[in-house]
Amino acid sequence: MAQQAGLTPDGSFALDWRAIKFSRGFVTVVLSTLVLLIVCSVFAPSAVSVGGLSGSLPFAAIIAIVGLGQMLVVQQGGFDLSLAGGVSLAVVITTHLSGGDDAQLFASILIAVGCAVVAGVVNGILVGVLRLNAIIATIGVNALMYGAVFAVAGGVPRSTTPLMAEIAGGKTLGLPNSVLFAVGVTLLVSFVLKLTVMGRRFEAIGANPQAAHAAGLPVRRYQATAYVCAQLLYCLAGVLISGITREPTAFQGDSLLLPSVAVVVLAGTSLLGGRGFPISTVIAAVFLNQLSQFALAVGVPFSAQTIIQALALVFGIGVYSVRWRRTAIPREKLSNSEETNNV
Amino acid sequence: MPEVAPMNDMHAQTAVAAEVAPKIRLSGITKRFGGVTALSDVSVDIYPGEVHAILGENGAGKSTLMNIIAGVFRPTEGTVEFDGVTVNQITPEKAAALGVSVSYQHPAVLDDLSVLENLRVALPARVFQGGDPAAIARGMLADVGLDVDLHLRADALTVGQKHLLEIAKALATRPPVLILDEPTAALDQDATEMLFDRIRAVVAQGTAVIYITHRLAELRQIAHRVTVLRDGRHKGGALVRDVTDDDLMAMIVGRSLASAFPPKCADAAPPTNFAVAGLSGGAFHDVGFAVGRGQIIGIAGVEGNGQAQVMRALAGLEPWRGTVTLNGKTMTTAEVAEKSAYMPSDRHAEGIIADLTVRENATFSALDQLSRLGIMNRRAELAEVNRLFGSLAVKTPGLDAGILSLSGGNQQKVVMARALMSQPGFILANEPTQGVDVGARFEIYRILREVSQSGTPVIVNSSDAAELEGLCDIVIVLSRGHVAETLTGADVTEERIVAAAVKAQTHLADDPATPTNTRTKGGLRAFIQSDNATVAPLAVVIAALGLYVFSQNGNYFSAFNISNILLLATALGFIAMGQTIALLMGGIDLSVGPLAGFLVVVASFFINDGQSPQTIAVGFALMVSGALVVGSINGLLIRFANFTPIAATLAMYIGLQGMSFVLRDGPDGYINFAVMDFIGWKLGPIPVAFVVLVVVALVAEYVLRARRTGWQLRAVGSDEGAARRMGIRVDRVAVLGYIAVALCTALGAVMLMVQIGVGDPQQGVSYTLASITAVVLGGTSLRGGRGTFIGTVMGAILLTQVLNAVSFLGLSQTWQYLFQGVLILAAALIYSTARSQTKA
Repeated sequence: MAQQAGLTPDGSFALDWRAIKFSRGFVTVVLSTLVLLIVCSVFAPSAVSVGGLSGSLPFAAIIAIVGLGQMLVVQQGGFDLSLAGGVSLAVVITTHLSGGDDAQLFASILIAVGCAVVAGVVNGILVGVLRLNAIIATIGVNALMYGAVFAVAGGVPRSTTPLMAEIAGGKTLGLPNSVLFAVGVTLLVSFVLKLTVMGRRFEAIGANPQAAHAAGLPVRRYQATAYVCAQLLYCLAGVLISGITREPTAFQGDSLLLPSVAVVVLAGTSLLGGRGFPISTVIAAVFLNQLSQFALAVGVPFSAQTIIQALALVFGIGVYSVRWRRTAIPREKLSNSEETNNV
Repeated sequence: MPEVAPMNDMHAQTAVAAEVAPKIRLSGITKRFGGVTALSDVSVDIYPGEVHAILGENGAGKSTLMNIIAGVFRPTEGTVEFDGVTVNQITPEKAAALGVSVSYQHPAVLDDLSVLENLRVALPARVFQGGDPAAIARGMLADVGLDVDLHLRADALTVGQKHLLEIAKALATRPPVLILDEPTAALDQDATEMLFDRIRAVVAQGTAVIYITHRLAELRQIAHRVTVLRDGRHKGGALVRDVTDDDLMAMIVGRSLASAFPPKCADAAPPTNFAVAGLSGGAFHDVGFAVGRGQIIGIAGVEGNGQAQVMRALAGLEPWRGTVTLNGKTMTTAEVAEKSAYMPSDRHAEGIIADLTVRENATFSALDQLSRLGIMNRRAELAEVNRLFGSLAVKTPGLDAGILSLSGGNQQKVVMARALMSQPGFILANEPTQGVDVGARFEIYRILREVSQSGTPVIVNSSDAAELEGLCDIVIVLSRGHVAETLTGADVTEERIVAAAVKAQTHLADDPATPTNTRTKGGLRAFIQSDNATVAPLAVVIAALGLYVFSQNGNYFSAFNISNILLLATALGFIAMGQTIALLMGGIDLSVGPLAGFLVVVASFFINDGQSPQTIAVGFALMVSGALVVGSINGLLIRFANFTPIAATLAMYIGLQGMSFVLRDGPDGYINFAVMDFIGWKLGPIPVAFVVLVVVALVAEYVLRARRTGWQLRAVGSDEGAARRMGIRVDRVAVLGYIAVALCTALGAVMLMVQIGVGDPQQGVSYTLASITAVVLGGTSLRGGRGTFIGTVMGAILLTQVLNAVSFLGLSQTWQYLFQGVLILAAALIYSTARSQTKA
């Protein structure tokens, strides 16, 4: 047990940067992505060409942003089905309320952000304070948000303002703007999660809310906050979609729900809550997107792509479930073995 | 002593028994959990016809030994023999088959099942044969003096009643081997006497009784032979009549270690720095004590007399009234919560965070001091952790090692480091040495003493009186939430502490095991508390909604519309019944929607116009076998590959959707009209298929309430650990459960096929969320263990009706979504409020 490997001569622990181990999720995701890119460059060069990438990367960016939102909720042991409604509502508000007029754009984006905050707070109160099951609460809120979607849009798609198309669909220094947004958001989430007091508490609460509560941390507030931050990210994704897609439909968010969960799981975040891996999540989004591109380029019918995604997901979970086994079972057995006096 | 005479008789029997072969022989048993050795080379023989006491402190390994005999744990080394035959790969079922019956210290009682169901699921069917099961069950309860309604849900029982129920279960099978683990912990004097009478009776019939306790007095009353464990080692064994109390004490406690306690506070009356007066809360009343600088105060008492609650209240985790004074300043509730540093007793549940590193575990409550403007200062964090780990002598392979790689003692030191790091006003150590090996134990005592000397008040709650004697300057003994005695100075001895706790205990005025209010009278109240309570309000809502829509639109009650609603509700109803099974097990199945759609697509290749009956039969067979395969994969992934239910069924969801699109890229393959006509056959406005749904739901409901299968299903969802200890084959039940989910979905798919009439890869997916909504409306809990198929069917009808009503009322799609959202949230909130109130 007491192999004091990291001990310096004066008996204290020094942080050896070389000794930092990358998480298993990071290694898995990066390796898989690299392998996929190499396979692509051999068998489907078009999928990794500049043209191909700049066409597909914006979609990877969208999946990355909603994936980060879903990750925050999953970290708190939750599950956010209202992602679909959140994205769709942001899409229809930016396209319909602005009415194609650039001058109205920012006002309508502000309204979208306001709606996102309200939806997040409702989710947060239902799950964090009223202790409803996350799935039930977010099914309900999702339905309410779709009600709002139809109230705004009436089910008719409409194209967005030229300014939005420029902001979301344009390029800066050769990179699609949406990708830059995704990079910015990733850096922000990583910074807050890993280097601030708030983020460290957030992860501790997600990993064991009981222990965090016993240590006096405001568990419910943090759990509720996860839903608000998630909705804000969905909102950003929705606004970007309204600029990228020519005529976004009212159901734009539906197709993002499963990929969002898939990238979170592939990146190694446990669905039981705990540590989050933002950078791995984003790479997983690139991986998932590239997988579709590859399948498309080699002529796999669109239909079969979801099967590939499912297999990738099973593979990903399989890799991590080995780790769960090692930690989860001893915990259960240890607590059985001790004659604890409190149940 | 009145027991003397009968005991001598028993000893005479024992002398005979000792010559017979042992019933159970444990040889060289060692059990390790990760890095912790719970048992080390323990050998014990258990003889029939006598009571064999296993004696030892908390953490000595008594429960681990018992769990090995009961088959819950497998020994790391050593062998277990029953009647001279070595038993390999022991499991709870195998142990039960060999005649081992266990009454657990923490009763394996399922809160979501009734008292009768608890008995029937845990006991073999033969016990209830040849008579009215209820009468037989009542007899079992009467045997242990438990008088409660058989149909009462077990969560309404008191702790004492649950213990009696546990004992009743253990006795009911008339087992050759009976293990009782601290059976009297929650029992009063009368119940204890009754239990001892029962034990004497079964021993007289030749049962081998293993009696686990840490009370010497009980041992004298009941046991013939004793084995003492200390720190997982065998410290001695003897016939009870041959051994004195002093010998036993020496074996249990190991007095030689007593000198290792740090010296106590030298000052007899130091200035008070922490005082509590008139502290009252849920389980304690008017508790008061004062600690001087350099003193450690201990809280003692028989388990469950409010000690833990006092600690939690002072930690700000439970509400309290009264005054708490720190260094002369009276603190508000918020200040108490902020100034306290609490070391929880259940380290794995509340003390450590298993997924985080040693460093993160040490700092997560003190991050504010290790940061600037909310941003972590890594250097400060490392310096602080290093400083504290140095002074606490924490042994760890590295600061970024996982916390579980440390021994129990070092984990506890990390918890202490965290408590100290937040620079607390006072420290609350709840069972600080539980699950800690001896060496680390004394280091923890030293640290607590140093903290106290440095001026930070230390309050220790411990169920180990010897520990309190060695560690504390003052000990208050709690009884039923009141301070029964305050011991100071030379009075702080193990004997005085135990005497005060036990004496107070015998003075209990009323009997905690038989409160008067648990007998429910009248069928209405029982119905309201039952799982089917939601049926009545749902029926009212369905009727009211129907009448309202009818008042707005006369066509609503047309035969066409009624049959339309019911037909739609039938498809949803079957799928939702499947979902109910998943939720009853505490799981969820997200793949039901795509599965239904996929099965319809499969059917659309076979069940067409012009196909031979054989081909059509093949189509149906493929639907069923497809469901079987999908259900098995879901179940196997969840039970044997450690997938969470969400992860497994989500992957299945995506995969099935893909399969549907592979088989058909658009709607094609029209379903045979004759088949559709047959399945859609109606009696008046009522589709026969709907009648079938109702019949299936009623049968399923009957199985759930009255058959072993149903009890097992609910047992797994209610408390998997307890279900496993009862010998239920949890994995098998769960896998079969997910197969049943898929088969119900296949029935739903047949109805879906009739509805859409064509193989369309896009259909079906929406049934996942709809099924969850219907189940929640019906009143099934997502926590597992509680649910109703009838409610689910009504939920499906209500949901279909709402969607249908929107178009009849001429409302837009907006309302369709809003109604759905409001409906599910309202139902979830109402049910969860109702449940929390019936529990309170």
